[in-house]
Amino acid sequence: MTGKEKVLAVLNKEKIDSIPWLPFAGVHAGKLKGYTAREVSTDAEKLIKSLREVNKLYKPDGQPVMFDLQIEAEILGCDLVWSEDAPPTVASHPLSESTDIPDTIPAATDGRIPLSIEAMKAMKAEFGDTTALYGLITGPFTLSSHLRGTNIFMDMIMNPDYVKDLLSYCVKVAKAVSGYYIEAGMDVIAVVDPLISQISPDHFEEFMAVPFAEVFDFIRSSGAKSSFFVCGNATANIAPMCKTNPDSISVDENVDLAAAKKVTDEHNIVIGGNIPLTSVMLFGTQQDNMKNTVDLIDSVDNTDLLIIAPGCDMPYDIPVENTIGVQQAVHQTEQIREMVKNYEGSEIEFEGELPDYANLEKPFIEVFTLDSITCAACTYMKASAVDIKEHFGDKVDMVEYKYTEPQNIARCKVMEVKQLPSIYINGKLKYSSIIPNRSEFIAEVEKCL
Amino acid sequence: MADFEKISELMQKGKADEVKQLCADALEEGVNPKDVLDKALLAAMNIVGEKFKNNEVFVPEVLIAARAMNFGLEVLKPAMVDDDIEEIGKVVIGTVKGDLHDIGKNLVKIMFEGKGLTVIDLGADVSADKFVEAAVNEGANIIACSALLTTTMTQMESVVKAAEDAGIRDKVTIMVGGAPVTEKFCDSIGADIYTADAATASEKALEACSK
Ligand code: B12
Repeated sequence: MTGKEKVLAVLNKEKIDSIPWLPFAGVHAGKLKGYTAREVSTDAEKLIKSLREVNKLYKPDGQPVMFDLQIEAEILGCDLVWSEDAPPTVASHPLSESTDIPDTIPAATDGRIPLSIEAMKAMKAEFGDTTALYGLITGPFTLSSHLRGTNIFMDMIMNPDYVKDLLSYCVKVAKAVSGYYIEAGMDVIAVVDPLISQISPDHFEEFMAVPFAEVFDFIRSSGAKSSFFVCGNATANIAPMCKTNPDSISVDENVDLAAAKKVTDEHNIVIGGNIPLTSVMLFGTQQDNMKNTVDLIDSVDNTDLLIIAPGCDMPYDIPVENTIGVQQAVHQTEQIREMVKNYEGSEIEFEGELPDYANLEKPFIEVFTLDSITCAACTYMKASAVDIKEHFGDKVDMVEYKYTEPQNIARCKVMEVKQLPSIYINGKLKYSSIIPNRSEFIAEVEKCL
Repeated sequence: MADFEKISELMQKGKADEVKQLCADALEEGVNPKDVLDKALLAAMNIVGEKFKNNEVFVPEVLIAARAMNFGLEVLKPAMVDDDIEEIGKVVIGTVKGDLHDIGKNLVKIMFEGKGLTVIDLGADVSADKFVEAAVNEGANIIACSALLTTTMTQMESVVKAAEDAGIRDKVTIMVGGAPVTEKFCDSIGADIYTADAATASEKALEACSK
């Protein structure tokens, strides 16, 4: 099955024997190619190159094109503050002092929608057969708050009709933008509404039930699948969210995935989540990420109607090897479970002997991989080393250590290898996770000849 | 006799006009305004804070209760004699530079006010220098910084440094909070107090001011 087939099968509520993996690489995609958050948020070419790299290294079954909740707001008059290592932020609210309801609907040619569409079409052409592509729109409640500011919370109690009218307007915007993205080839439209976590189930029923159901109906009738993304502690709202009838829901680490899944299972809705973004993905080690993912998969009653994804938009600086670790743990759960066990079991002693790196006869290239057959990034890393070995022939030595062998895990511990895949030359870390280009790799080896 | 319980209940429901009226009635009856404040309004805010912490009420309910509290305060304040409004403590609060999440910060502010502290709100996207400048000008006891992004929480360290540079570090308590912030992080940057929620934050702030 291709990744796309897996995602769509699960969203069609079919039982399959693997779990789809959906890395939310928004601006983080840029990190893989050395572009800043601002560059991938404004430059189609750089964005597409970065998304291609995500597809290559992270082997996603499904992949978002842009994770930017400011696209609609920018067009509708909110000022944005730009950042090099995070998506832009809304900094002003055009309706903060007025209760007018706007009537402008963003056109496909407005603001950064053309950039988004261009990237979608390029991704569709390249990966449309193999990867389920996600188009993300700003949910009606979060868009309302972008326009109105946090007054919207008080309005819910003091001026409920106004809030309902503003939400209806934002539903029109949501439908228009979904339409553009579906036409550009998106398989799934994710309605992203972090603010939903901040209101009670009663307020959800009163204000959100109808507008969200309308958006999901529209997406379904346009031939695409849908997802309801929320961030924050939305535990109390999982059941009401299910009732708006999206094909899937995605939650972050503030929600207990196993408990929420019991609720989504009752409604026959797919749930996605929720590798912790900060404590694990950003600050944890690769081991932590693999372990956390395996534990997460083990925590749920059953793995039907399940997608594994980061909690929300991935912070820009997440180490690449951490995401690779999660990917391996989703796709090769049994193998990674063994690795984690072997790593944790400190009883494995390294039985070999490390080379005398200071006195080698020729340059020695060591490639450490999770498994160069199943892990895409590892395959590329290994291939680049094989290529270099061919280039230099007998003048260098090259070896691969796969993490699937307990002795190789022990070797990694002794050598303090923390990131896989990685390449060491003469015992020193030279490359990790991001595949070196050929000429720099050759130059690096020549220095040691 | 004024029914503190009733005022508290109405305030928790955000019934601002009723709260205002009942506060005025209480004053008519000759009830001490300080008592109305402590036993009705601030007591109500405490309950709201606890309920929010336990996920029983959400952001709109807290904001609306705070509004009702302010309506009540409006009638009580002018009636208070000077030693009733003795200043318990002054707090300068804001969300750090680069960060525009302000919901949590606003709730912390409300809970601080609910403890009778004076709060100067600098808003969101506040630079370290601005925090310190305001603290100096206002003679604040506490600087409270909120950050919701891992990329902006490091700004808190700059606030601690700026306070050192301005020579006020030993005079102000620096409090930090927001979803990604932890006790450990607080210690590592040399800030003084971290709490995970607004209700506890207000208790700690009160303690810090009464030292
Ligand atoms: C609502 C929300 C938004 C709203 C903000 C609206 C507003 N005016 O504040 C919007 C939609 C605009 C938004 C935007 C973004 N957000 Co946002 N957002 C959230 C969300 C869902 C809830 C935050 C919130 O308001 N919680 C409710 C309040 C009451 O809780 P709180 O802030 O934690 O405050 C409590 C305590 O922490 C404490 N406290 C708070 N401050 C202080 C201060 C002191 C001194 C003390 C003692 C205590 C204290 O008391 C409070 C009450 O108990 C969180 C999810 C989460 N897990 O927190 C994401 C989250 C914070 N956002 C996130 C992101 C990535 C973004 C964006 C970059 C999104 C994007 N991709 O475009 C932008 C960037 C904005 C920017 N530069 O500032 C990430 C941050 C990831 C990270 N670790 O860096 C989070 C964690 C979501 C996630 N899981 O990915 N967001």
